[in-house]
Amino acid sequence: MTSVLDAQLSLSAEEKFRAHFYLLLSRLLGAPADAELLGLMQELEGDDSAIGEAITDLKKLAANISVDQSAEEYEAIFIGVTQGELTPFKSYYLTGFLNEKPLAELRQHMDELGIEKSEDAAEPEDHIAFLCEMMHGLIVGSFGKPLALPEQYRFFENHIANWAPKFFEDLETTESARLYAPIGRIGKLFMEVESEAFLIAA
Amino acid sequence: MDKKKSATPSRREFLKTAGLGVGVAAVAGGIVSADDAEAATLQDEKKTGYRETEHVKKYYDSARM
Repeated sequence: MTSVLDAQLSLSAEEKFRAHFYLLLSRLLGAPADAELLGLMQELEGDDSAIGEAITDLKKLAANISVDQSAEEYEAIFIGVTQGELTPFKSYYLTGFLNEKPLAELRQHMDELGIEKSEDAAEPEDHIAFLCEMMHGLIVGSFGKPLALPEQYRFFENHIANWAPKFFEDLETTESARLYAPIGRIGKLFMEVESEAFLIAA
Repeated sequence: MDKKKSATPSRREFLKTAGLGVGVAAVAGGIVSADDAEAATLQDEKKTGYRETEHVKKYYDSARM
Protein backbone atom coordinates (compact mmCIF):
# COMPACT_ATOMS: atom_id res chain seq x y z
CA MET A 1 0.00 0.00 0.00
CA THR A 2 1.28 3.48 -0.82
CA SER A 3 2.43 5.36 2.25
CA VAL A 4 1.49 8.97 2.86
CA LEU A 5 5.05 9.98 2.11
CA ASP A 6 5.07 8.07 -1.18
CA ALA A 7 1.85 9.79 -2.20
CA GLN A 8 3.33 13.17 -1.36
CA LEU A 9 6.52 12.43 -3.25
CA SER A 10 4.47 11.62 -6.33
CA LEU A 11 3.11 15.16 -6.38
CA SER A 12 4.36 17.03 -9.42
CA ALA A 13 6.32 20.24 -8.99
CA GLU A 14 3.32 22.19 -10.24
CA GLU A 15 1.00 20.74 -7.59
CA LYS A 16 3.55 21.65 -4.94
CA PHE A 17 3.67 25.18 -6.35
CA ARG A 18 -0.08 25.40 -5.91
CA ALA A 19 0.22 24.20 -2.35
CA HIS A 20 2.95 26.69 -1.51
CA PHE A 21 0.90 29.46 -3.09
CA TYR A 22 -2.07 28.67 -0.85
CA LEU A 23 0.21 28.59 2.17
CA LEU A 24 1.73 31.94 1.27
CA LEU A 25 -1.74 33.46 0.90
CA SER A 26 -2.84 32.02 4.23
CA ARG A 27 0.17 33.52 5.91
CA LEU A 28 -0.38 36.92 4.25
CA LEU A 29 -4.07 37.03 5.11
CA GLY A 30 -4.18 35.38 8.53
CA ALA A 31 -2.26 37.95 10.50
CA PRO A 32 -0.34 41.19 10.03
CA ALA A 33 3.04 40.59 8.44
CA ASP A 34 5.94 40.37 10.84
CA ALA A 35 9.49 41.31 9.86
CA GLU A 36 10.21 37.76 8.70
CA LEU A 37 7.21 37.69 6.36
CA LEU A 38 8.01 41.13 4.96
CA GLY A 39 11.49 39.79 4.32
CA LEU A 40 10.08 36.76 2.52
CA MET A 41 7.97 39.02 0.31
CA GLN A 42 11.13 40.83 -0.74
CA GLU A 43 12.66 37.54 -1.87
CA LEU A 44 9.83 36.69 -4.24
CA GLU A 45 10.69 36.59 -7.94
CA GLY A 46 7.86 37.11 -10.41
CA ASP A 47 8.09 36.14 -14.07
CA ASP A 48 6.33 37.99 -16.89
CA SER A 49 2.99 36.28 -16.35
CA ALA A 50 0.13 38.29 -14.85
CA ILE A 51 0.69 36.64 -11.47
CA GLY A 52 4.41 37.21 -11.82
CA GLU A 53 3.89 40.92 -12.38
CA ALA A 54 1.68 41.17 -9.31
CA ILE A 55 4.33 39.33 -7.31
CA THR A 56 6.95 41.81 -8.50
CA ASP A 57 4.70 44.68 -7.41
CA LEU A 58 4.28 43.08 -3.99
CA LYS A 59 8.02 42.58 -3.67
CA LYS A 60 8.71 46.26 -4.39
CA LEU A 61 6.08 47.48 -1.95
CA ALA A 62 7.32 45.12 0.76
CA ALA A 63 10.76 46.67 0.42
CA ASN A 64 9.34 50.13 1.06
CA ILE A 65 7.04 49.56 4.00
CA SER A 66 7.75 49.11 7.67
CA VAL A 67 6.31 46.37 9.87
CA ASP A 68 4.31 48.99 11.75
CA GLN A 69 2.90 50.51 8.58
CA SER A 70 1.88 47.14 7.18
CA ALA A 71 0.31 46.18 10.51
CA GLU A 72 -1.69 49.42 10.49
CA GLU A 73 -2.84 48.67 6.97
CA TYR A 74 -3.82 45.11 7.89
CA GLU A 75 -5.76 46.34 10.89
CA ALA A 76 -7.61 49.01 8.92
CA ILE A 77 -8.58 46.47 6.27
CA PHE A 78 -9.51 43.49 8.43
CA ILE A 79 -10.04 44.62 12.02
CA GLY A 80 -11.06 48.27 12.33
CA VAL A 81 -12.63 49.52 15.56
CA THR A 82 -15.75 47.37 15.42
CA GLN A 83 -15.32 46.10 11.88
CA GLY A 84 -12.63 46.34 9.22
CA GLU A 85 -13.17 47.49 5.67
CA LEU A 86 -13.47 43.85 4.71
CA THR A 87 -14.96 40.80 6.41
CA PRO A 88 -13.10 37.87 4.86
CA PHE A 89 -15.47 35.02 5.65
CA LYS A 90 -17.30 32.74 3.25
CA SER A 91 -20.56 33.01 5.20
CA TYR A 92 -20.45 36.80 5.18
CA TYR A 93 -19.81 37.02 1.45
CA LEU A 94 -22.54 34.53 0.58
CA THR A 95 -25.26 35.61 3.01
CA GLY A 96 -24.31 38.97 4.46
CA PHE A 97 -23.94 37.40 7.90
CA LEU A 98 -21.31 35.45 9.80
CA ASN A 99 -21.83 31.91 11.08
CA GLU A 100 -24.59 30.99 8.65
CA LYS A 101 -25.25 27.92 6.51
CA PRO A 102 -22.12 28.34 4.34
CA LEU A 103 -20.03 27.83 7.50
CA ALA A 104 -22.08 24.82 8.53
CA GLU A 105 -21.53 23.27 5.10
CA LEU A 106 -17.80 23.88 5.38
CA ARG A 107 -17.69 22.24 8.82
CA GLN A 108 -19.51 19.24 7.43
CA HIS A 109 -17.01 18.90 4.63
CA MET A 110 -14.08 19.36 7.02
CA ASP A 111 -15.53 16.58 9.14
CA GLU A 112 -15.72 14.34 6.10
CA LEU A 113 -12.07 15.06 5.32
CA GLY A 114 -10.82 14.64 8.88
CA ILE A 115 -9.90 18.30 9.34
CA GLU A 116 -10.30 19.71 12.78
CA LYS A 117 -9.91 23.34 13.81
CA SER A 118 -7.12 24.01 16.26
CA GLU A 119 -8.27 24.95 19.77
CA ASP A 120 -6.48 28.27 19.78
CA ALA A 121 -7.89 29.50 16.47
CA ALA A 122 -9.89 32.60 17.34
CA GLU A 123 -11.99 32.86 14.19
CA PRO A 124 -14.55 30.59 12.55
CA GLU A 125 -13.27 28.16 9.98
CA ASP A 126 -14.51 30.02 6.92
CA HIS A 127 -11.88 32.76 7.14
CA ILE A 128 -10.00 33.05 3.85
CA ALA A 129 -6.68 32.32 5.56
CA PHE A 130 -7.99 29.09 7.06
CA LEU A 131 -9.46 28.01 3.73
CA CYS A 132 -6.13 28.63 1.99
CA GLU A 133 -4.38 26.68 4.73
CA MET A 134 -6.85 23.83 4.23
CA MET A 135 -6.25 23.77 0.48
CA HIS A 136 -2.53 23.54 1.11
CA GLY A 137 -3.11 20.64 3.46
CA LEU A 138 -5.44 18.85 1.08
CA ILE A 139 -2.91 19.11 -1.76
CA VAL A 140 0.09 17.86 0.19
CA GLY A 141 -1.77 15.40 2.38
CA SER A 142 -1.60 16.98 5.84
CA PHE A 143 -4.84 15.35 6.88
CA GLY A 144 -4.09 11.90 5.51
CA LYS A 145 -2.99 11.20 1.98
CA PRO A 146 -3.08 13.96 -0.66
CA LEU A 147 -6.61 14.53 -1.85
CA ALA A 148 -7.37 13.51 -5.43
CA LEU A 149 -7.91 16.39 -7.81
CA PRO A 150 -11.66 15.85 -8.35
CA GLU A 151 -12.14 15.95 -4.57
CA GLN A 152 -9.95 19.04 -4.27
CA TYR A 153 -12.13 20.60 -6.95
CA ARG A 154 -15.28 19.76 -4.98
CA PHE A 155 -13.85 21.48 -1.91
CA PHE A 156 -12.66 24.45 -3.95
CA GLU A 157 -15.98 24.89 -5.74
CA ASN A 158 -18.09 24.64 -2.61
CA HIS A 159 -16.07 26.78 -0.22
CA ILE A 160 -13.71 29.04 -2.15
CA ALA A 161 -14.63 29.59 -5.79
CA ASN A 162 -18.05 30.95 -4.90
CA TRP A 163 -16.77 33.95 -2.94
CA ALA A 164 -12.98 34.31 -2.76
CA PRO A 165 -12.55 35.90 -6.21
CA LYS A 166 -14.89 38.70 -5.12
CA PHE A 167 -13.07 39.01 -1.80
CA PHE A 168 -9.69 39.32 -3.53
CA GLU A 169 -11.11 41.94 -5.87
CA ASP A 170 -12.39 43.85 -2.84
CA LEU A 171 -8.97 43.54 -1.22
CA GLU A 172 -7.29 44.94 -4.31
CA THR A 173 -9.49 48.05 -4.28
CA THR A 174 -10.32 48.67 -0.62
CA GLU A 175 -9.50 52.12 0.67
CA SER A 176 -6.55 51.35 2.92
CA ALA A 177 -4.85 48.84 0.64
CA ARG A 178 -1.29 49.60 -0.38
CA LEU A 179 0.77 46.47 0.35
CA TYR A 180 -2.44 44.45 0.28
CA ALA A 181 -3.55 45.68 -3.13
CA PRO A 182 -1.15 43.40 -5.04
CA ILE A 183 -1.98 40.63 -2.57
CA GLY A 184 -5.60 41.02 -3.64
CA ARG A 185 -4.56 40.96 -7.27
CA ILE A 186 -2.40 37.89 -6.74
CA GLY A 187 -5.26 36.10 -5.01
CA LYS A 188 -7.73 37.03 -7.73
CA LEU A 189 -5.43 35.81 -10.48
CA PHE A 190 -4.62 32.63 -8.58
CA MET A 191 -8.32 31.86 -8.23
CA GLU A 192 -8.68 32.15 -12.02
CA VAL A 193 -5.70 29.84 -12.52
CA GLU A 194 -7.11 27.30 -10.09
CA SER A 195 -10.55 27.32 -11.71
CA GLU A 196 -9.10 26.85 -15.18
CA ALA A 197 -6.61 24.22 -14.07
CA PHE A 198 -9.28 22.13 -12.36
CA LEU A 199 -11.23 22.08 -15.62
CA ILE A 200 -8.22 20.68 -17.45
CA ALA A 201 -7.85 17.90 -14.90
CA ALA A 202 -11.54 17.11 -14.55
CA MET B 1 -11.62 5.45 -13.02
CA ASP B 2 -8.14 6.76 -13.66
CA LYS B 3 -6.21 6.38 -10.41
CA LYS B 4 -3.17 8.34 -11.54
CA LYS B 5 -2.18 10.83 -8.89
CA SER B 6 0.07 12.83 -11.19
CA ALA B 7 -1.48 15.51 -13.38
CA THR B 8 -1.95 15.22 -17.11
CA PRO B 9 0.74 16.97 -19.18
CA SER B 10 -1.64 19.72 -20.31
CA ARG B 11 -2.58 20.57 -16.70
CA ARG B 12 1.07 20.69 -15.75
CA GLU B 13 1.83 22.86 -18.76
CA PHE B 14 -0.96 25.24 -17.87
CA LEU B 15 0.16 25.54 -14.27
CA LYS B 16 3.76 25.94 -15.38
CA THR B 17 2.93 28.97 -17.53
CA ALA B 18 0.65 30.51 -14.91
CA GLY B 19 3.58 31.97 -13.02
CA LEU B 20 3.10 29.97 -9.83
CA GLY B 21 6.43 28.25 -9.93
CA VAL B 22 8.62 31.29 -9.86
CA GLY B 23 9.59 32.66 -6.51
CA VAL B 24 6.96 31.34 -4.16
CA ALA B 25 8.50 27.89 -4.09
CA ALA B 26 11.88 29.47 -3.43
CA VAL B 27 10.60 31.09 -0.26
CA ALA B 28 8.40 28.20 0.75
CA GLY B 29 11.12 27.01 3.05
CA GLY B 30 10.65 30.18 5.05
CA ILE B 31 6.92 29.64 5.33
CA VAL B 32 6.82 26.08 6.48
CA SER B 33 9.35 23.63 7.86
CA ALA B 34 11.30 21.60 5.31
CA ASP B 35 8.89 18.70 5.50
CA ASP B 36 5.57 19.67 3.90
CA ALA B 37 3.89 16.81 5.70
CA GLU B 38 3.84 18.79 8.93
CA ALA B 39 1.09 21.24 8.42
CA ALA B 40 -1.92 22.83 9.78
CA THR B 41 -3.29 24.39 12.81
CA LEU B 42 -6.18 22.34 11.49
CA GLN B 43 -5.11 19.00 12.86
CA ASP B 44 -6.10 15.59 11.65
CA GLU B 45 -8.22 14.30 14.47
CA LYS B 46 -6.94 10.82 13.72
CA LYS B 47 -3.48 12.09 14.76
CA THR B 48 -1.40 10.34 12.10
CA GLY B 49 1.89 11.04 13.83
CA TYR B 50 1.98 14.75 13.03
CA ARG B 51 4.16 16.55 15.52
CA GLU B 52 4.76 20.25 15.79
CA THR B 53 8.37 21.27 15.49
CA GLU B 54 9.47 24.52 17.13
CA HIS B 55 9.70 26.13 13.71
CA VAL B 56 6.17 25.17 12.77
CA LYS B 57 4.89 26.27 16.19
CA LYS B 58 6.52 29.66 15.70
CA TYR B 59 4.91 30.04 12.29
CA TYR B 60 1.50 29.13 13.58
CA ASP B 61 1.84 31.35 16.63
CA SER B 62 2.50 34.23 14.30
CA ALA B 63 -0.36 33.22 12.03
CA ARG B 64 -2.89 32.86 14.81
CA MET B 65 -5.67 35.39 14.62
